[in-house]
Amino acid sequence: MALLEIKNLSKFFGGVKAVDDFTYSLDRGHLHAIIGPNGAGKTTIFNLITGIYKPTQGDIYFDGQRTTGLQAYQIAKKGIARTFQNIRLFSEFSVLDNVRTACHQRASYSVMEGLFPTPRRLRQEKELTNHAHELLELVGLADRATEKSKNLPYGHQRRLEIARALALEPRLLLLDEPAAGMNPDETEKLMEFIEEIKEKFDLTILLIEHHMEVVMELCDDIVVIDFGKTIAWGTPEEIQSNPVVIEAYLGVGEEA
Amino acid sequence: MSGYYAGIVILTCVNLLSALGLSLLTGFTGSFCFGQAGFMAVGAYVSTILTMRYAAPFPGALLAGVLASTLVSIPLGYPTLRLKGDYFAIATLGFAEAVRLIVENLEKITGGSRGIPSIPTHTTLPVILIITLLCIWLIRNYVSSRHGRNCVAIREDEMAAQAIAVNTFRYKQISFAINAALAGLSGGFLAHYVGFIQPSMFGIQKSTELIVMVIFGGMHSVTGAVLAAIILTALPEALRAASAWRLVVYGAVVVLIMVVRPEGLLGSWELSVASVQDLWIRLRTRFSTQ
Amino acid sequence: MILQQIINGISIGAVYALIAVGYSLVYSVLNFSNFAHGDILMLGSYLGFFALTKLGVPFWLAMVVAMVGAGIVAIVMDKIGYRPLRLRKAPLLYLMISAMGISIFLQNFTIVTIGPNFRTYPDIFPPQPIAVGELSIGRLDLIIFAITVISLALLTWFIYGTKMGSAIQAAAYSMDVASLMGINPDLIVSVVFFLAGATAGIGGVLFGMKYTVYPWMGMLTIKAFIAAVVGGLGSLPGAVLGAFILGITETFAAAYVSSAFRDLFSYALMTIIIVVRPAGLMGTIAQEKA
Repeated sequence: MALLEIKNLSKFFGGVKAVDDFTYSLDRGHLHAIIGPNGAGKTTIFNLITGIYKPTQGDIYFDGQRTTGLQAYQIAKKGIARTFQNIRLFSEFSVLDNVRTACHQRASYSVMEGLFPTPRRLRQEKELTNHAHELLELVGLADRATEKSKNLPYGHQRRLEIARALALEPRLLLLDEPAAGMNPDETEKLMEFIEEIKEKFDLTILLIEHHMEVVMELCDDIVVIDFGKTIAWGTPEEIQSNPVVIEAYLGVGEEA
Repeated sequence: MSGYYAGIVILTCVNLLSALGLSLLTGFTGSFCFGQAGFMAVGAYVSTILTMRYAAPFPGALLAGVLASTLVSIPLGYPTLRLKGDYFAIATLGFAEAVRLIVENLEKITGGSRGIPSIPTHTTLPVILIITLLCIWLIRNYVSSRHGRNCVAIREDEMAAQAIAVNTFRYKQISFAINAALAGLSGGFLAHYVGFIQPSMFGIQKSTELIVMVIFGGMHSVTGAVLAAIILTALPEALRAASAWRLVVYGAVVVLIMVVRPEGLLGSWELSVASVQDLWIRLRTRFSTQ
Repeated sequence: MILQQIINGISIGAVYALIAVGYSLVYSVLNFSNFAHGDILMLGSYLGFFALTKLGVPFWLAMVVAMVGAGIVAIVMDKIGYRPLRLRKAPLLYLMISAMGISIFLQNFTIVTIGPNFRTYPDIFPPQPIAVGELSIGRLDLIIFAITVISLALLTWFIYGTKMGSAIQAAAYSMDVASLMGINPDLIVSVVFFLAGATAGIGGVLFGMKYTVYPWMGMLTIKAFIAAVVGGLGSLPGAVLGAFILGITETFAAAYVSSAFRDLFSYALMTIIIVVRPAGLMGTIAQEKA
């Protein structure tokens, strides 16, 4: 059974059909991508999956459970983590605290215990902090742990956001243009990194990306959308040779 | 300690308790509450009515006041905390006004606009000081816990907070309830120190003074709120500054702070063993020329 | 009797409409609730008052003085307290706090300079009401209604019939898109604040004539907010609709239930709308983009 199933998803904003009858499914352990021109509706799909928007029509199933209509935090709790197109870090927090906050589910101490330094709380906090440090090591930010996250350079901020998403211990990771603004060298490193975490954490990953080499080289399965509708779905080879896709998207100016 | 200075300390503690709650709610969680005086009024009137009409023991009456103001925060927060911050801000402002209106018009129970005089002065310096220090400790603990971090996450970026599985509505409710409790406690102590209460004591002027303390001292620092409460309570007393001019200055200072240094006096700096050591080291290296 | 109360409700509703429309205008373009909006109204009211009593100008000129004066105050308010924050992309919370600071400053500045006394506008229009059948309609109420209608008509013409108005509509939809199309965002914001201030100024004069002038008129911001919320935050026709609904509801509640709790009914109305239909009668809740 697919990990994520999207069935006939639609989102209308007044008269605008941002997403129109979108159907897709994600297989466990695979790396998927949604590609399409700017404004095609890709981030809207992410927002629908993660519960920021409620669909106008259609349903989403995560691991067999219907998640349509759940609140965003409930969906995150179920194991879907994401990064944002315009990085949304907790700017006033340190690098460490950005990740540490996201580790909150590893602890179970109550609000009341939040008022007192109980042994259980101290123990759990320690464990939580250690885990956060491990994640920072993984993304190469351990030496900047105490810096304020808003002072990090752009590329580091992206890495931090990924570390924060991983702190949720998700099963599905949604990455919204993770390579945006990166040069070819950084993009290469990012690709390796994505492969690495997929293996290490047994993740299923869904990517939105404009860097075609990333998508074609990494992904097992790609869906192409335009104006909110699916125009193609298949493996990288199939997509690259699909005339409809080439006409609508890939062939129009060699960007990315 | 002479009566005059003891009085200043007590009044400082009263303001501090309220400012502490606001620090958590508005400073750390980012929900702008403009009606703190309303919660103080609830605590003040409930505890006073219990001690004076029903001869309740002070601790019990105080607790009842705390409970009352906390319970009131629940229906107030329920519809408004789901929506944008503007709704909550105006709703709290409206709430404080509503409390004042109700108190002024239920003369039989509350004494109307003339208030309740001759309240027994149960508030003593050691008691309020200890309780205040205890509350500062409790709030400091909360802020450094995973729950406190979740609150800050909500303030920084509510959407991202949801994305890391934080139930933002719930946490806002909790911060609101804690704030209401502290304000109710503050009101109860105030009533039984000053010896009388009137609706005019709990108007927008009071709410304003309290929130200015939090803004001034730093919205990201409990230490800052404490310091600001001390400075802004003791200083006017010492200067005997005229009330209205003081507020003119406050208003201007608030805008100035927002434009120039919104983090307030201390930013996110908290007083702790580690931070004092760190400060000491930095000062030493700055002032040594080797 | 009922029709009489409706007329009274429409009269106060007209004043509310003027305040609410300015408030909603700023909100629709900047996505921000100007808590100091009521204080602009207050200043307009005083300006009109002094123009009439100290300068002895005719009524229409006093109105113009109030309008223009309040409009200018609004622009200055933005330049000092809001624009610097907008340029820094400061969070909404900071803007709200700055607005609060401005409100406190203006309110208390007025108290210490002009004084806290209530002022009454001189009787410009003969006080005898006009009898229409069994109803008696105050001349003042008629004038208020007429001025409101004319003002709203002029505003509507400006927004829907001029180039600048179209630019404002574009900016209300998206400031970024509007500026990409060659529209100067600073100019738009200034025009919007001027319009908001001017309508508030007119509203202030009318309110002052109907009731009194006092430094705490800023609290009318709450009424503006309630009217705007009832009609749908950000919708101008909604603000007008909401204002009349508010005015009529208040008047009926005051007449048939209790005049002391008049304001409580407006809060209750707001609560109902927030719980039942938060987008208001004519609005939509804009979703934040991820």
